[in-house]
Amino acid sequence: MPAHRPAFPPSSPCRRPAPRGRWRAAIGAALLGLAAAAPAAAQAPLPTIALDARLRDDAGIRLGDTIAIAATPDGPARRMVVAAFARRTADPSEVARAEYKVRLHLADLQALLAYGDRVDRFAVVTRDSGATDRVVAGINARAFGFRAHRSRDIAVETGRTFAVINRFHRAIGVITILASAIFLLCIMLLRVEERRREVATLRLIGLSRRTVVRAIVVEATAIAVLGAALGTGLGWAVSQVVNRYYQGLYRTPLVFSLVTGEVVALAVALSAGLGVGAGWLAARRVVGRPPLALLGR
Amino acid sequence: MRVALAVASLARHRTRTALAVAGIAVASAMLLDMVMLSSGMRLSFRELLDTRGYQVRLSPKGTLPFDTEATVGDAAALVAAARAQPGVAVVAPNLGAQLVAPRGDGAVTVAALGVEAGVQGDYALREGRDAAAGELVASPAALAALGRRVGDTVSLGTGWDPQLRAFRELAPRRIVGVGRFYFLGADQPVVAMPLADLQATADGARRDRISSAMVRLAPGAEPAAVARALAAALPRVSVLTTADAVAQADERVAYFRNLAFILGSVSLAVGFLLVTTLMTVSVNERIGEIAVQRALGVQARRIVQQVVAEGLALSVAGGLLGLGLGLVTARYLDAILGDFPGLPPDIAFFVFQPRDAGTAMGLLVVAGTLAGILPSWRAARLPIAATLREEAVA
Repeated sequence: MPAHRPAFPPSSPCRRPAPRGRWRAAIGAALLGLAAAAPAAAQAPLPTIALDARLRDDAGIRLGDTIAIAATPDGPARRMVVAAFARRTADPSEVARAEYKVRLHLADLQALLAYGDRVDRFAVVTRDSGATDRVVAGINARAFGFRAHRSRDIAVETGRTFAVINRFHRAIGVITILASAIFLLCIMLLRVEERRREVATLRLIGLSRRTVVRAIVVEATAIAVLGAALGTGLGWAVSQVVNRYYQGLYRTPLVFSLVTGEVVALAVALSAGLGVGAGWLAARRVVGRPPLALLGR
Repeated sequence: MRVALAVASLARHRTRTALAVAGIAVASAMLLDMVMLSSGMRLSFRELLDTRGYQVRLSPKGTLPFDTEATVGDAAALVAAARAQPGVAVVAPNLGAQLVAPRGDGAVTVAALGVEAGVQGDYALREGRDAAAGELVASPAALAALGRRVGDTVSLGTGWDPQLRAFRELAPRRIVGVGRFYFLGADQPVVAMPLADLQATADGARRDRISSAMVRLAPGAEPAAVARALAAALPRVSVLTTADAVAQADERVAYFRNLAFILGSVSLAVGFLLVTTLMTVSVNERIGEIAVQRALGVQARRIVQQVVAEGLALSVAGGLLGLGLGLVTARYLDAILGDFPGLPPDIAFFVFQPRDAGTAMGLLVVAGTLAGILPSWRAARLPIAATLREEAVA
C-alpha cells in the first residue's frame, strides 16, 4: 500500500477523530470522481484516505483504489489512495443525514483546504473528572480566544434534538396508556356484566361483597398481566422489526428500539395497575346492585 | 326505525356505551393525529419553500441549499447565466457565513446572510428598512444576543486571531431593520447584509462566491422544464425544484411518516377491537331478543342492519369526539416537536386539512361497520326455536 505516512488501519471504525464542521461538509460534498484502481507507487506516494463504507457499497470502490478529491466542486482535485473504510458510528445526530464522510490525515486536509496550520478543535484526555474541571477552568482563564468545554456539556447540547423526540414519545405513550385504560375498563365492565347472574348467585349463597370484589379484581389483574406478557413478546418482536427496518433504511448500527428490563417492568406494572383499577371499578358497580336485581327480578 | 332501535339499544347500557365512545374517541384522536403527521411536515415544508414564490433552488454541485458550507465561485457570471434562461423571472443569490461580535469578555456568533435586497427571499421585514452597504437587518434573537436595537451600530468580525489576539476584520455595521427569517430557527441569531458586503469578508476568500440562489419563474413556466434547462446550462450547480426539495426532506423525516403509519394502524385496530368486543357482548346478551324478533318475522338482513347501525353509531360518535380531541393533542404534540433546535418557525409537523379528518372518519366508519357485521351475522343465523328454548331455560 503506497503511503508516505502511516496509513489508516484497515479495520473500521477509523481511529482518527471524525472530521467535523466546515471541512467535513466541504469534503463530503466534493468527491469529484473515482479513478480506476491504478498502481500509484511509481513516483511520489499518494496520500491515503478512509472512506465511508456506504460510499464503498454505492460506488463499488475497493481498498487501494485511487480517487480524486477536491474541497469544492470547482476546486483543484488531489489524488488519494483508499486505505480504509469506516463504518458509520451509532450517532443519533447523524442518522438522517445522507452525505458520505471521509477521513484524511490532518496535514492532507489542511493542504486540500488551504487551511494553513489550523485546526477546528482539540480533544483533550484528562486523568479524572477533577482534573477535567481544573483543565477547563485553566484553559478558559488563560487561553484567550479559545473555549474549553466538557464533553458532557457538549453531549447535552447536541442531545437537545433527542430530548425533544423523547418528550414526543412520552406524550404518545401517555395517550396510549389512556386508550389502554379505557379499553381495559370497557372489557372488564363487559365481562362482569356478562356474569351478573353468576355474581348474584354468589351473593345469594352468602359470599360477601368484599370477596366478590376481590375475586373480580384478581381475575382482572390476571388478565392484565397475561396481556402484558403477551404484549412484551409482541413488543420485542416489533422492536426487532423496527430496528432491522430503520438500520437498513438509514444504514446505521444505531439501535432505535430497545426492550429493556426496566421497560418490561414498567409495562407490566402499568398493566397490573390498570387491571386492578378497572376490575375494582367494574366489581364495585356490579356488587352495588341487589342480587335479585342482577337476576332480573 | 333501525337507527332508532340501535340508539335505544346503546342507551340501555349508558356506562358501557360512554366508555366505548371514549375509547373510540381516543383511538380516533390518535388516528387523526397520525394522519396529520404523515403529511403535515411535507405540506408545511412545501408552503415554507413557496413563501416568496421561488420554485427552483441552485446550490453547489452535489449539495442541498445551506445543507453544507460549500459555496460556488464566479457567482456573478453564474447568476447572469441563470437570469438569461427562458422562463426565469428573478434570481436571488445568497451567501451564508458566520460572523462574530465582541461582547463583554467573550464573543457572540451570528449567522450572516449576504443577499440582494431587492430580490431576496430569505426574510420579511418586521421593522425598519432593508440594509444598504455597511448596514444589516437582524433577527430578534440576534438583537437579543448582541444586546442592540434598531439604529445601533455593532462591530462584526470573521473570527479570532489567536496570534494577534484580536478579532479579524472587525468592522462597524448599523442595524437598520428587524427581519423574520423563514429558513432559520427562531432562536438562532441571524443578520442579513448586502451580498457584496459579506463577499468582501474573509480576506477575499468569499469574493464572487455564493452559497445558493433561488429562482422565481415567469408566469406559465414549468418548474421541471426550467430546472432541466438550468441544470444543462449551469453544470457547476445542482438544481432543485420545490418538488425535489420536498422529496429530499421526505427522506429525512421518514421516521415520522413510518411512526405515523404504525401508530395510526394500531389506533385503527384498537378502535376495531373495541367495537367488535362491544357488539359481540351486546349481541350475546340479546340472543333471546333477536330470536323473538326473528320468530315474529323480522328478516335476518334487518337484524344485521340494526347491529351494524349500532357499531356505526358508536364509531361516528367516538370519531366526532375524537376529531376535537385529536386537534387538541395535535397542537400539544406539535408544540413538543416545535422545540427542535434550529427548526424554522413556520414548519409544523401536524397540519390540519379537512381531507385528513375525512380520512380518519372514513377509516373509523369502515372499521365500525366491519366490526358489527360478524356478530350480527352470527346472531341472525341462529336457529330460532333452539335459541328460544335455551333462553327460556336460562
